[in-house]
Amino acid sequence: MMQTEYSKEKKVGEGTYAVVYVGTKYSTNRKVAIKEIKTSGFKDGLDMSAIREVKYLQEMNHVNVIELIDVFMAQNNLNLVLEFLPADLEMIIKDSSILFTNADIKSWLLMTLRGVHHCHRNFILHRDLKPNNLLLAPDGQLKLADFGLARNMGSPQEILTSNVVTRWYRAPELLFGAKHYTGAIDMWSVGVIFAELMLRIPYLPGKDDIDQIDVTFRALGTPTDRDWPEISTFSTYNKIQFYPPPSRDELRRRFAAATENALDLMCGMLTMNPHKRWDPTKCLTSEFFVELPEPTVPEELPKLNNK
Amino acid sequence: MDDDEKKDMCPICKTDRYLSPDMKFLVNPECYHKICESCVDRIFSLGPAQCPYKGCDKILRKNKFKTQVFDDVGVEKEVDIRKRVFNVFNKTLDDFDGDTDAYNKYLEDVEDIVYNLDHGIDVAKTEEKLRTYEDINKQLIMANMERSKQDLENFEQRQKFEKEMKLKKRILEKQIQEEDMANKEWAKREIVNQLSTSGDADEVIANVKKTVKLKKSSARRKLEELNKVLKNNPFMTVSNGLMKKKETVPFTPFNGDRDIHKRYTLTDSGYFDPFIKELEAKKEYIASGFRADYVYDRMLTEAFMGLGCVITEELQTPQLNSVN
Repeated sequence: MMQTEYSKEKKVGEGTYAVVYVGTKYSTNRKVAIKEIKTSGFKDGLDMSAIREVKYLQEMNHVNVIELIDVFMAQNNLNLVLEFLPADLEMIIKDSSILFTNADIKSWLLMTLRGVHHCHRNFILHRDLKPNNLLLAPDGQLKLADFGLARNMGSPQEILTSNVVTRWYRAPELLFGAKHYTGAIDMWSVGVIFAELMLRIPYLPGKDDIDQIDVTFRALGTPTDRDWPEISTFSTYNKIQFYPPPSRDELRRRFAAATENALDLMCGMLTMNPHKRWDPTKCLTSEFFVELPEPTVPEELPKLNNK
Repeated sequence: MDDDEKKDMCPICKTDRYLSPDMKFLVNPECYHKICESCVDRIFSLGPAQCPYKGCDKILRKNKFKTQVFDDVGVEKEVDIRKRVFNVFNKTLDDFDGDTDAYNKYLEDVEDIVYNLDHGIDVAKTEEKLRTYEDINKQLIMANMERSKQDLENFEQRQKFEKEMKLKKRILEKQIQEEDMANKEWAKREIVNQLSTSGDADEVIANVKKTVKLKKSSARRKLEELNKVLKNNPFMTVSNGLMKKKETVPFTPFNGDRDIHKRYTLTDSGYFDPFIKELEAKKEYIASGFRADYVYDRMLTEAFMGLGCVITEELQTPQLNSVN
């Protein structure tokens, strides 16, 4: 029986559709996280996000993507056995007792981009990248997690829902309700996360969906038909306020510690037009990762001070 | 409230900061009692005198008074002691030829002295220790002082240099921007001017554009040179050596995991697929950032994916992600 292979020791979290426990895999004595999906509550069968999580995670095996170790049924509940990762990037950003340097930011960003690169080359969109979903392993490795909103890049005529990604990390085309977007939406999220790592506060904190449009364009300038062809076909476009794009000097002032290459990379990922936005390959080969300081080795990255 | 009031009032003359906002407080490292500037002038002008605080019998001198940096007197006192001790015990790791154990022991000893002085433990003995060390190592102390002064100067020089370069760069960038604008204006006007006399619009525009390109300015060239200088910044190389860690594995952006040699090459000219072509022209597809090359890339990858894979071989290697 599968149940005897794993122990559930402590409840560590509960979401709308799952409870997460810490446990041990007996045969290897490895610590694992067990995500128990509450199937019983759903009359229409298994929750969509659970299916997505299993479907995409079992396809991927990469240091910067969370590992799905096993799946089993017990007491009519579906259980996902995942790698146990005790911290996430949001905790690190919010903990004001932790200091981190530009080299640390570079290292986290590097690992995030490698993870996203791996997803995209397997034609999988994550669609919910945010610091909270970037988990940190005890050895410092950063791993993309929570594939509950992920999907594959389907055939081109398929309609994708624009109601994805946590609001603050939502790309402009999603804010306008685009239905045929690409991996560029994940890159936007990474750009916002990069900015957040440098500022240590959320970069584009919109209060609601309408406010998010306003906040985004106030910070980065309203795009026009010139730099984003056919943007005016979005029905909401004509109702929004026009803001000029920030000058390089304004950005330098806002991100005082950023180097020119860092700003280039950030602006590349925060390009309004999804067509021109940098893809993971372009980001990873950017000058930013080659210039000094070198990215911190994962083992030496700042960690949460437990107890 | 009471504490707040006390904080802004001199306990000797009862002058309030509210009424005389220019008032400054001074402390003396003998007892760290807070006294306002005018009281210090009044009491200590004629020579050393007793601290005016009730019950404090320390004799204070005017020249030892200083402004308090830290709110907490304890911190202020410790910082002063540290300053004094570190002026004498100023060895660095280099003085120990990189022997970290010896250096750590030395640091530990220094900390002990600071702690003792700060907490009033064996003060006489510790002071004695400090003095003898100073006498014995006079030469070394002087040399180290000189060296730290040099370091500071180097650092300041480097900062100054970098600041200047940055400023220069900004100015050049601004110049380029302005020139570009002016050029654009000029080109616009020139095109209109020439069009009023000549007939062939395309030719005129091409000509004007060519001259604009030739005009690309000296400022741009200067900026390039400046960038070159910044790259081989003589001051940077010093710090580079420090920042560089001993590397075990050379850095690669993809961690060595990137398929450069795919089983196919995507042509730039595109493929003839009427279905995709039609989508590509749709406004809502363009606006969403839809990219036909992504679609072709995916289709080709999927088409060639299994080639070269022998399933029997794959099955023999133990799978990590087995899902039952």
